Amino acid sequence: MILVRRRAGGLPTGPARVARARTHELTGGDRVLQWVSGVAATIPLAGLLFITIILVVWAIPAIIYSGFGVFTSDKFFIGNFYSLNFTSVNGVVAPFGANYGALTFIIGTLTSSLIALVLAVPISVGGVLMLSEWIPRRLEGPLSTFLELLAGIPSVVFGFWGLTVFGPFLGAHVFPALSHLGVILPFFKGSWAYNGQGLLTASLVLTLMIIPIIASTTRQLVKRVPVLASEGALALGMTRYEVVRVVTIPYVRTGIIASALLGWGRALGETIAVLLIIGMANNPPVNIYGTTSTLASTIADDLDSALSDGTGMALRAMAMLGLILLIMSLVTNLTGRLVVRRISTESLPVGRGV
Amino acid sequence: MSKTPRLRHVRGVAFWILCGLALLLIITPAVAIILSVLVKAAPQLKLSLFTNTTADLQNPGLQNAILGTLVLLLGVAVVAGSIGVLGGIYLAEFAPRRLGGPLRFFSEVLAGVPSIVIGLVAYTAFVEALHWGFSILSAIIALSLLTLPYIVKTTEVSFSQVPRSLREAAIALGLSRITTIRKVLLPPALPGIISGMVIALAIATGETAPLLYTASFSNTNPSAGLFHNPIGYLTYVTYYYVQLPGAQNQALASAAAGVTILLVLLLIFAGRAITARQRRLMARLDV
Amino acid sequence: MNVRRHASIGFAVITGAILVSACGSTSTVTAPPTSAPASTSSSPTAAAVQTGNPAGPQTLSEAGSSLLYPYLQKLAPGVNSAFANITLTPAAGGSGTGQSEALSGTIDMGGSDAYLSASQVSANPGALNIPIAVSSQAVNYNLAGFPNLKLSGNVIAQIYQGTITTWNNSAIAALNPGVTLPATPIVPIRRSDSSGDTFIFTSFLSATNPTWSSGPSFGTTVSWPTVSSELTASGNPAMVDTLHSTPGGIAYIGISVESAALVDGLGEAELENASGDYVQPDQTTVTAAVTAGAGNIPASLAASLIYEMGAQAYPIVNFEYLIINPSKITSADTALAIRTFIEWAISPTGGATADNLAAVNFEPLPTTVIPQVNTAVAQITG
Repeated sequence: MILVRRRAGGLPTGPARVARARTHELTGGDRVLQWVSGVAATIPLAGLLFITIILVVWAIPAIIYSGFGVFTSDKFFIGNFYSLNFTSVNGVVAPFGANYGALTFIIGTLTSSLIALVLAVPISVGGVLMLSEWIPRRLEGPLSTFLELLAGIPSVVFGFWGLTVFGPFLGAHVFPALSHLGVILPFFKGSWAYNGQGLLTASLVLTLMIIPIIASTTRQLVKRVPVLASEGALALGMTRYEVVRVVTIPYVRTGIIASALLGWGRALGETIAVLLIIGMANNPPVNIYGTTSTLASTIADDLDSALSDGTGMALRAMAMLGLILLIMSLVTNLTGRLVVRRISTESLPVGRGV
Repeated sequence: MSKTPRLRHVRGVAFWILCGLALLLIITPAVAIILSVLVKAAPQLKLSLFTNTTADLQNPGLQNAILGTLVLLLGVAVVAGSIGVLGGIYLAEFAPRRLGGPLRFFSEVLAGVPSIVIGLVAYTAFVEALHWGFSILSAIIALSLLTLPYIVKTTEVSFSQVPRSLREAAIALGLSRITTIRKVLLPPALPGIISGMVIALAIATGETAPLLYTASFSNTNPSAGLFHNPIGYLTYVTYYYVQLPGAQNQALASAAAGVTILLVLLLIFAGRAITARQRRLMARLDV
Repeated sequence: MNVRRHASIGFAVITGAILVSACGSTSTVTAPPTSAPASTSSSPTAAAVQTGNPAGPQTLSEAGSSLLYPYLQKLAPGVNSAFANITLTPAAGGSGTGQSEALSGTIDMGGSDAYLSASQVSANPGALNIPIAVSSQAVNYNLAGFPNLKLSGNVIAQIYQGTITTWNNSAIAALNPGVTLPATPIVPIRRSDSSGDTFIFTSFLSATNPTWSSGPSFGTTVSWPTVSSELTASGNPAMVDTLHSTPGGIAYIGISVESAALVDGLGEAELENASGDYVQPDQTTVTAAVTAGAGNIPASLAASLIYEMGAQAYPIVNFEYLIINPSKITSADTALAIRTFIEWAISPTGGATADNLAAVNFEPLPTTVIPQVNTAVAQITG
């Protein structure tokens, strides 16, 4: 008999409730530690508030200047610093001709991350199912090591590999084949850069980067599927595939969605790999191979140019882009973590490397 | 309408073939990336790589970048390590339920903030507004904000995984909490804490975006001074030189990528080894 | 018309500079004496500019122009052997970065092909543009079999506006009689970063094409007209790289990396100058431009040498500036190191040797400008 406490719903609770001495029995040394560690524990919250406040305060002038144009205009130009005139909108003065439309970057961020998500989820789930159902125990350890390795590869190494190996390979061998699809899907028609730089390559590399997050969470969830249920299904004569379809998938479905959201959050914030691979063009992609930009990569690439703006507005525009990115990431991340916490108290997936 | 056994069998086979392909798609790129980077880096692994700095035009090396990364890692270990461990202790040992929940939650939210955003904020607040200039301190703070949630979480989990019986024995003996933590809980929890720190350092080693505008870059070895002191780091070398034409630049980028990956892998394996050792110890400790 | 505009900027700058006090710190207005044996300034008509080896080791951080960067890389070992306590650490990053980081004090000197804009000067009173060399810019293209086509600024502007799209366009053909050009589509390549090369290139386009002048005009960042095939690159070396991989491409490339471009087999355009000659950048043509423009250089040293009127004068010529903000200098030793470096760098026996200049295809400063440079350098106090 397994003595594990279970909540209604059949899931085990987390680590056993911690036994502590009662509060009024704390000594002086205890209180010191309590206060010091208490302050330390609030630092993440303080840091989060600090980040949000700084971004909001710095972005406000740019938001006032651009209004809804932030979301409707795809032209992002920090202005001509050598003109003797300035452009003034709603009382905010910016260099001549400055326009801070973020539509290009929003489109780039969303399309690259969504393509990556759509590809990563089936690959992760399928791979994990294969790992748990068919791979012998002995090999499981080394293979799961690969998952951790993939999680640990730094973003710049992904970018380096994408720029020097993967992109040229795609440009030479894969895109020509894909362009035949252009007959039915016009977005697949067109030309591409010789080194593969562009939306599709960046999305594929992003896929590789978010697979570890989805795969590791899915693996933990698959391990938790009640043995009785799956064995019962097998006893009824279902094939292994049907067991997966009928028992496992419904059980892990919520968790997969949650981890997919977490993975999406990471893909949104990816900076360096995207910067090296996506081509950094100031317009939405003309086709699936086309170059474009994302919010994160634009901030990283243009921040030093923004600093030469004497009015300071370009830096405000960067903060505005950062704020949009922060909101997008937080929304997806929060939703994902809220769902994950309800079903699992395992530790966060390792591997950030943005 | 029942499906024929044949059809069900075929469907099963088709499904598992696809799953096998998926597993292959996970493993192959991982191996391909690591191998191709190491293969490209291998020819550059000569002594001058570690004795010369990037400033050397004839025979550039990575000395300043490696030392810079190590200095930053030390700073992260000190800053994020101390704050994170203390915070984890609070959440595990002191926090009342109503306070602990939100604190944990916000820590996880911080983990979701993109690193370029953290870098941007660190730039505007520290480099510009506080006039620290490109500085080691602003870089360490940016990296610490990034890795703090992991250290807090692993510390808390490590403490809460200490067997209940040990805690009950400490209470029975009338030990104060601080003594309990120091003498009873910390020893078994320590491997987990260290493992968490090591993983956090692995993450920090691979970061570029938050350092671009806080540490900037220096072509010379790190010097003392927390302010107005740019410092080099490995990932920048790859990022910058891969975009330059010429065989020498590409070679330097490859070398830096190879050293970065080796360092990250070393840290990850060290973390796992510590965790595995602890698991064996805990099994023996089972009371 | 273009000279007048630059002169009016210069006038505003001078007025601004006169109305504002020079150095922020009050305690060390008179430069303290150096303790180590000094090798004094070697400028021929120097005012008494205090230079010498600083008392303790000084590292001068520099970043910015990718056009100036190769030259500074050449100078770095030399200044360190002349003055043991001065170490120069140059970096690239684009003129915009050089300007902004120098103005904010993040680095000691900013390399820039462009002088500071009026708004930058008014936001940072006392900031200096100090030229240390004369450089130029070539227009290169990737069209096999045509090493030296004749092009004019007017035509190039139309290429970057998207109105001329193929190499066999009648306008290009008219400039190159007797040459049969292919129908290859033209791919304009431009800088994506805040760039001094963009500044001088667009100055040239503004001087030769009225639509460009009233539209994008000139600057380190301009609103480039949308051309669907246009590519971008960050930094001069990347411009060479991108051009090399793009048949039909055209790009503006700083002279210090030009030898890499020509080795690659890229063509170098013969540009039409204000006097109607078609010239390529070399010592004669660049010097001719400098001589023509050396007469009217304001005290702020913010001068344009673009499209000068003169026989055989190359049209895209510029000063290479070091941007320095004295109010951000924290120690007298640093100021001393900066002054010493600059005076050494512009001296023909110090940094501006024929070898160093030839390695990057730069020309020395005209001697008429040296006194003005010395006056500016004297304002660098800590």
